[in-house]
Amino acid sequence: MTNLSRWYGQVIGLNDVSCEIGPGLTALLGMNGAGKSTLMRLITGQLRPTTGSVEIYGMQPFANPEVYRHLGYCPEIDDFYERYTGRKFIQYLARLSGMSKSEASDRTQHVLEFVGMADRADRKIAGYSKGMRQRIKLAQAMVHDPDIILLDEPLNGLDPVGRREFMNVLAGLAENGKTILVSSHILFEVEQMTRSLLLLHRGRLLANGDLGVIRSLIDKHPHQVRLEVDDPRRAAELLVGLPNVESLRYDYGDRALKMEVRNPDSFYDSLSQLIIEKKIRVHGFSSPDNNLESVFRYLVES
Amino acid sequence: MVGAIFSQALREYFRFRRIFPWLLLGGLCYGLALFWPHLIKGATHQEQYSSVSSILAFRILALSSAIFTTAIVSQEVEGRTIVYLLTRPVPRWILLVTRFAASVIVVSFLGSLAMVLTSVGAFGKVGNPLLLNDVKAVVFGALAYGGLFLLVSLLVNRAMIYCLLFAFGWETSIPNLPGDLYHLSIYSYLQGIAQHPVTETSRALNAVAGGSNANSISALSAYLCLAVFTVATVLLSAWWFTHFEYVPREDAE
Repeated sequence: MTNLSRWYGQVIGLNDVSCEIGPGLTALLGMNGAGKSTLMRLITGQLRPTTGSVEIYGMQPFANPEVYRHLGYCPEIDDFYERYTGRKFIQYLARLSGMSKSEASDRTQHVLEFVGMADRADRKIAGYSKGMRQRIKLAQAMVHDPDIILLDEPLNGLDPVGRREFMNVLAGLAENGKTILVSSHILFEVEQMTRSLLLLHRGRLLANGDLGVIRSLIDKHPHQVRLEVDDPRRAAELLVGLPNVESLRYDYGDRALKMEVRNPDSFYDSLSQLIIEKKIRVHGFSSPDNNLESVFRYLVES
Repeated sequence: MVGAIFSQALREYFRFRRIFPWLLLGGLCYGLALFWPHLIKGATHQEQYSSVSSILAFRILALSSAIFTTAIVSQEVEGRTIVYLLTRPVPRWILLVTRFAASVIVVSFLGSLAMVLTSVGAFGKVGNPLLLNDVKAVVFGALAYGGLFLLVSLLVNRAMIYCLLFAFGWETSIPNLPGDLYHLSIYSYLQGIAQHPVTETSRALNAVAGGSNANSISALSAYLCLAVFTVATVLLSAWWFTHFEYVPREDAE
């Protein structure tokens, strides 16, 4: 994507987004209205960019059948041909992908087994639960074995077990070399799926890349480190002398030392060295803001 | 690929629930043709048939075309299933034209059925001297109305309203206007193909049937005009559908 923008009349849906997405699982993260679905529709060629361009294998996707050979799309909508059975629905879309009747039938069976719907595929879609519908949507996106699969909020409405299974399916696809782009507004879900992110906010791309790298680039906010030790007074005296420690306090309620540090990699090196040399007994260690929620909050605030 | 689109569309259009109202309307043609001598005393079988087919059967053709053709795209957009079709490796124009072909077949079938049932009501048998031309007119009417309604459904929202206004307003009134204005009506060309003899019914019935004016369109020029019109509207529709966005509206951010 190069300087990709999309306007809906006077309203901006996506503003000057430039990035590349490669193989593996990438999460497209943003609040409702951030422009995730617009970006998905631009990549899948349902919408034309107002300015800029999007290319898949060097081709513009809008109404381009050649692009759709490489691309599977699982939309956010929950609409189907309700009178169809799951199998018939997938078979029809397989036939639209250029497969012969027997090819479509074999391939349909394969993807139905892959998403765990083979035993329920001959029931009408109208009678499916939310989770079953999500699986059928994923199956239709995979039926023509595309290299790129885009999933718009695929975990919506799934129960926790269903979410876990769905995430495993996506992880399996990513391991097989597929390029998977999953949009979500639920940070917790995304964090469980991948550390490769595209963060959108109000139509702008806030950040792009590995979660850890993105976090380390946010200099404005020192990293928080929480340490539980045997002798906090002695540990505090030693830790405060480390070069990257900005502040340190003891939380009586939490019974832990809480620090704010810069250059976390360098700090962690010196911390581990200090712990070994001074024989500090550590019971617990965590970095509470080294997660997606904090990163997202910091980026949105800035 | 084309076969799959075509057969799916045909199955969808020929669902019993979907064609049942049209079968009832066909039954109405039969009933009206049967009852016609009670309305117009001394009407011959040919007049019975000619009047009922003009007043009702050709309207069924326009109405069914409006309903089936506008469904080609707008039904998928409103049902929000269009996203599945537009993200498949099938050129948009093939998708459109193939579904259009399926709709023309079902509309031709329903229009022809209405003609046949009118014939059975009027003559007491399937065949009559006017039927073959009427079936030809039905097929060309299905193509021409279909092409026009397809284009309208791509250009405007709530296309069905405009198409129904055209089918019942324009197509009833324009053929009755003075001068050569009747050339602006598809129905006038269908009359040119059907070549029904002028019947001596009441002025009001003639107006309803769109036969107040002397129609000088020959069958050959009617075929040509409707064929050119169909090709032009379908080509324009295919171009439009390929170049413009079709995203469910309520789904857009």
